[in-house]
Amino acid sequence: MFEEFYTIAQSINNEYIAKVKEQGALCIGYTCSYFPEEILHALGIIPYRIKGLNVSSLSIADAAFGPFICSHPKCLLQHFALGDYSFLDGIIVTPGCDSMRRIDECIRKTAVNLDLPVVPPFFFHYAVPHKITEYSVKWLVEELHRFIDSVSAHFGLSFSYDKLKESIAFYNRLRKRLEELNALRIHYPARIAGADAVAVYVAGLSMPRDRFYGMMESLLSEYTGTALEDRKRLMLIGSANDDIDFIKTVEGETAVVVADTLCYGPRLEVDYVDEEDEPLHALALRYLNHSHCPRMYGGYKQRLAKVVEAIRIAQVEGVVLQNIRFCDLHGAENGLIERDLEKLGIPCLRLEREYGPLADNERMRMRIDAFLERLEVRRLVCERP
Amino acid sequence: MIVAGCDIGSLTTKVVLFDGKKIIASSIIKSKPKPEDGAYEALQQACAIATVNQDNIVYCVGTGYGRKRVPFANNTISEISCHTKGAFYLYPNVRTIIDIGGQDCKVISLNTQGEVDRFVTNDKCAAGTGRFLEVMAKVLKIELQELSNMAKKGNEAITLASACTVWAQADVIKYLNEGISKENIALGVCKSMAKRVGVLVNQASIKRDVCITGGVAKNTAVVKELENLLGVTIVKITNVDPQLTGALGAALFAYQKAGG
Repeated sequence: MFEEFYTIAQSINNEYIAKVKEQGALCIGYTCSYFPEEILHALGIIPYRIKGLNVSSLSIADAAFGPFICSHPKCLLQHFALGDYSFLDGIIVTPGCDSMRRIDECIRKTAVNLDLPVVPPFFFHYAVPHKITEYSVKWLVEELHRFIDSVSAHFGLSFSYDKLKESIAFYNRLRKRLEELNALRIHYPARIAGADAVAVYVAGLSMPRDRFYGMMESLLSEYTGTALEDRKRLMLIGSANDDIDFIKTVEGETAVVVADTLCYGPRLEVDYVDEEDEPLHALALRYLNHSHCPRMYGGYKQRLAKVVEAIRIAQVEGVVLQNIRFCDLHGAENGLIERDLEKLGIPCLRLEREYGPLADNERMRMRIDAFLERLEVRRLVCERP
Repeated sequence: MIVAGCDIGSLTTKVVLFDGKKIIASSIIKSKPKPEDGAYEALQQACAIATVNQDNIVYCVGTGYGRKRVPFANNTISEISCHTKGAFYLYPNVRTIIDIGGQDCKVISLNTQGEVDRFVTNDKCAAGTGRFLEVMAKVLKIELQELSNMAKKGNEAITLASACTVWAQADVIKYLNEGISKENIALGVCKSMAKRVGVLVNQASIKRDVCITGGVAKNTAVVKELENLLGVTIVKITNVDPQLTGALGAALFAYQKAGG
């Protein structure tokens, strides 16, 4: 039932993208969950969340980025340099973090250094404020205007507010479907493995959304789910992750990830866009406010509150806080979250890891096993008379 | 009833046979490229010492990085839980365990019931692990076991500037070329090792009593430097080889699981 989602999620290009491209559709990649896909959808462009999967060497990316930086943007760059993203008609780079912002220069520099045609025809630096204030929302609305003008002019497209309103309504319906999917893993006992849920989420970011919506509807109408009894219920927090194998490593055979705050995860599903508001203002408000990402200044207490609420709703037994090596944002915030959750009596495990195929799975597996054993003891203690 | 614990580590494979009251035999061998081979050999050695047949072993728990590759294991448990179990059995007042193995270092906090409360592990590199000492001993052209005694004879420790094992090795070569005595280099190596481990220990909230397990526990120079650095007395496991603590814990779990 999930095979097709896995196939799409675990590859860079896929038949759905290829098919619409053959019919003349445009496809634009973006790097951060703060970019509102609705704008591209309204223009008839396929949004594609750029992934870094299946890289076996960082030979080119290491030269451009240097050694002391998160391996996630490096993997993205490596794919660009190898031409794996040649199907993209454009790329939108957002300063989600400093490493990801640098991919802008690194792609251009790699193109020059190696004399490779790796810079997509349309290249846009989409800036997102780090604070949520009245003026930053206003600023982001202006940035959205700048983007719409730029992409429309580049591809000779005509933008319509009516189309945007339709796209906003469509994405809200999609969020509803994703929420229904998420309810399956929140269910006690979970009725879907965390890896399967993440495969669906990641696939959704890698294909035409209308087609994905259809697949979601079929899945939700046909899938009855299997009760995953007796599994330790985990929440996963921290750095961006599109690697389903990592979720499988965390889950093993005795745990299930019932909630997460990961980029590429269910972020899209939460917080609907206000369909009554002026569309660009509604988008700016939603995208600045929705996220769990520590890139936003001064929002720690709200993010912690969201995590605690998710733990309560999903009946989480333990929290795995992971960050990719050199990820300062999540590395620092995970320390705070661990401190505060442990104070509340919620067991935490912190992991620092490499992204993707470079990951040291066995060392990680040992720590996760030990954490699950700790949770098992906790269960037994709770059962003691 | 005889049970076994088998701990396949990165450098050594250990087996402990336990009869419910005491350790009846144990073995420590170098880990093999094929972990199964090492597990069989270590088991054979232990069985030969105890003069028991392998078929008489009722239950076995595998632990260590190679725990999934112990062919005769009925169950697997992480070495964090096993070291905790073993150390608590040997010394019930222990509340913090520093386990320094071949390729990693762990600091485990435990509660009064002997259950894992929190743990931290090194995750950046091999600095602060047995591998670091092994590499340095090789550069000094001595056996690993000699490093501790050699360090005790040193009086002016050299400083290793880098945490990186490879760069530290280059530093040691430089000191040798400058004519610095091996004793002072060995002392510097042990101090450096203690410093790396100390960083990890300080990440955990250290509670007394503190004990040290794993192969590096046998290097008394490192343990002494660690005591100086942390300002605590570290309990030395003397009744059992500290390198066997994980395998012992696995055997104790095996005994429980077998209904003992």
